[in-house]
Amino acid sequence: MAGEVAPQSDVDQTGGSKTLHLKTLRKSWQILALQIIATVSLVWMYMIIVSTYVVDSIDHTILFETLDSFGLDNPLGDFLTGSKGSGLAKFFVPLLLGLTLGGGMALLAFQSQKVQQRIKLGFILVLIVGLVGRTLLSWLGGMLFQWEIRAPNNNEIEMLQWPLMMILSLLIMTIYLLPIIAGTRGIWGLSKQAIAWSIGFTLLFLGIHAVLTFPTIMGQLGTYGDTLSTLDTQIGEATIGLFGFDLISREQLSLVLIAVLIMSFQESAFAVIRYLEYAYRLPESCKRDPEYVKQMDNSLNGHLRHTIGFLALTAVATMIALGFHSVLLDIVETTTGSQWAAQVSESIELRLTYGLVISALLFLGVASVLKYLVPWQRVRALFYSVTRSDTAAETISKEDIWSQ
Amino acid sequence: MWTRKAAFTFGGGISLVLIGMMITNHQMMILGLALIAFIVVNSWLSGHGDIEVQRTLSADNLYKGDDLYVELLVVNRSHRRTQLIEVYDNVPHEMKLRSGLNQMRLNLAPNESARIRYVLRCPLRGHYNIGPVSVRYRNTFNLNVNEMKINHHSDIVIFPQVKDVEEAFLRSRTPKMYTGATTLRTPGQGSEFYSLREYVPGDPFKNINWKAFARTGELMINEKCRDAVTDVYILFDTREISRIGTVLKNPLEMGAVSAASLASYFLQRRDSVALCTYGTKLSYLPPDTGDKQYFKILSALAGASSKGRMPLQAVTNSVSGRFSRGSPVFIISSCEGDGTVPAAVRDLVGRGHEVTVLSPSSIDFEKLTTRIPRLDYEVLKIERQNRLTTLAGSGASVIDWMPDMDLSQALMQVRGY
Repeated sequence: MAGEVAPQSDVDQTGGSKTLHLKTLRKSWQILALQIIATVSLVWMYMIIVSTYVVDSIDHTILFETLDSFGLDNPLGDFLTGSKGSGLAKFFVPLLLGLTLGGGMALLAFQSQKVQQRIKLGFILVLIVGLVGRTLLSWLGGMLFQWEIRAPNNNEIEMLQWPLMMILSLLIMTIYLLPIIAGTRGIWGLSKQAIAWSIGFTLLFLGIHAVLTFPTIMGQLGTYGDTLSTLDTQIGEATIGLFGFDLISREQLSLVLIAVLIMSFQESAFAVIRYLEYAYRLPESCKRDPEYVKQMDNSLNGHLRHTIGFLALTAVATMIALGFHSVLLDIVETTTGSQWAAQVSESIELRLTYGLVISALLFLGVASVLKYLVPWQRVRALFYSVTRSDTAAETISKEDIWSQ
Repeated sequence: MWTRKAAFTFGGGISLVLIGMMITNHQMMILGLALIAFIVVNSWLSGHGDIEVQRTLSADNLYKGDDLYVELLVVNRSHRRTQLIEVYDNVPHEMKLRSGLNQMRLNLAPNESARIRYVLRCPLRGHYNIGPVSVRYRNTFNLNVNEMKINHHSDIVIFPQVKDVEEAFLRSRTPKMYTGATTLRTPGQGSEFYSLREYVPGDPFKNINWKAFARTGELMINEKCRDAVTDVYILFDTREISRIGTVLKNPLEMGAVSAASLASYFLQRRDSVALCTYGTKLSYLPPDTGDKQYFKILSALAGASSKGRMPLQAVTNSVSGRFSRGSPVFIISSCEGDGTVPAAVRDLVGRGHEVTVLSPSSIDFEKLTTRIPRLDYEVLKIERQNRLTTLAGSGASVIDWMPDMDLSQALMQVRGY
């Protein structure tokens, strides 16, 4: 009789995804929207990082050109590596390749163990044949036709150059595209580990770049250090602002975007896995229960709203925090009319790290106590109670339930 | 309360800001500030556990092994969204989930409700309590989490199983002329109509004959024929030693099933049944008939737990004076660890009671959980056989009840008395 709990087997009462089976849930628009948000954030973040730190400075095409100068041709071709492009365009085709590879790996992750094993085995075989196939064929064929046992000659050994260069090129491309490949694999293949790799590699790159561009270390690097692109944001003029105040420079906006997009990618990608894990663990009867389906819809809708709303607010709050010192000085200057504010604003300490960070943290400190000064949730509740008629929530009696 | 994620995010943010300042790197500083801003912005909106719960059970009393249908209605009475909230209905660990789940992740809009339905299997008798409801609420990004409990409880009594007992198995050694309730042509407690009489203060209102009152204008009372019933006494051993065996199979559990089954059988015959349980203390339920008595007996059996070491003779000395002369007495005991059993049985038989000892074989129950060497087992079995033979020699009908034996099968051993 327990299996006949009528409402649990009734799946036609809800809109949206009918059940919480993974096959159905993965196709629900909220999950797809979260995955798309994560992918767009990943690609956008990658593009900004690349355009800020890598392009024309330490990009892969420079490496390929260096290899070319040693007489080692790039077997991948200029179209695939983006060597013929200029600026950010160098990364368009490799980016597509990275997304395709990550997607392919995600697709592979959903195949059966047997299929996965076969594909991996096939890949290894192709790699081995590609690497030493021509050399072996030529060498063994030569020995067979000439009927003598000998070591491979120079021509035969040179045949190894092309496959080795191919592997080297692929390796270079993979290193450059690792965040994209791992990120795409993580988002669509539902792998927390891959997402962590993608974020970790990005942060590692930013960290290494930060250390290498530290003036003392950069000085030690000599001419090698000159190729690294540095951000002179301390002296960049604030041109982007809100409410009539110029808050941050264009360079700072890129950095804010990188930070927010990393969070957006991380939160959306992990959220998809978290919700799917929860749905997976539910027993069969709950997966079909309209109540569970409805609450999953509620949670996903809430997550989407908050992902967009809160991350946009985070970006705005960071922008205001970064330009808060100038806002304070503008207010002081406008209200008192004294020369003090203008003199202080010229101070390099203020516009350099200490002043900027202290004022930013001051703003964030004030913002964090805002919830006690302005009770948003109560204001929202008041708004709700005014705008919506108060429908009494249902109450049930025992007879009502068990007569169903 | 901040989660580990929030602590790491904030700590990471501060660290990045400090390191960024040290090496004059704006990317690190801005990343750090963005992480702190993320925490700040998220602190503006938090979930809440201001919800109302209402639990409905399919029954308040069940028999062991039955299914219990539970529905928990969760209502958000506030004007705010709950955000991500996990509701967990605490169920006793003795009960097993058969269908559904006793927890749900919700995100309730103001005045929205959700129902959590699940089915519990109740494999063990006893008095249980479902609740409280644990609530854990957090914000979307899992940066702060709070836990609370809503003290909403539902009581449930799981009665021992009642098995069918065939009449032939309980035939008396000296056959009675009439079995079960027999109406006597004298007024008293019973079921059949005897006569009408005038109302006397103190008479229960339920016995007033309203039609006669309407006709005559005087309050008249329906008098019933007195039922002559047999008083059956069940002495149930709940001493600590009765716990030997597994959770589901032990002398106490089997004894509870047999006591419930015997009580059901005799009460259906409209006999009076008394129950006396003894362990740490003596609990005596005087003989009575009807559904109410049946419920009382089942409730008492549901609450029986293995404790204490009260000897049987102390029990018989205390209550045998209240036993009706010649009435049958059932002693349900493993007869282990109590040297007074033969004396107590002799005493009861001497008073003219027809004594039946239903003795679950505790050695065989122990064998279910621990390995007993064959020789030790044989010796223990012989000792037990000797003990039971002594009881049989005292004039009692003795049933050696093995763990894998059904109650009806066990009762067959007294057939022919």
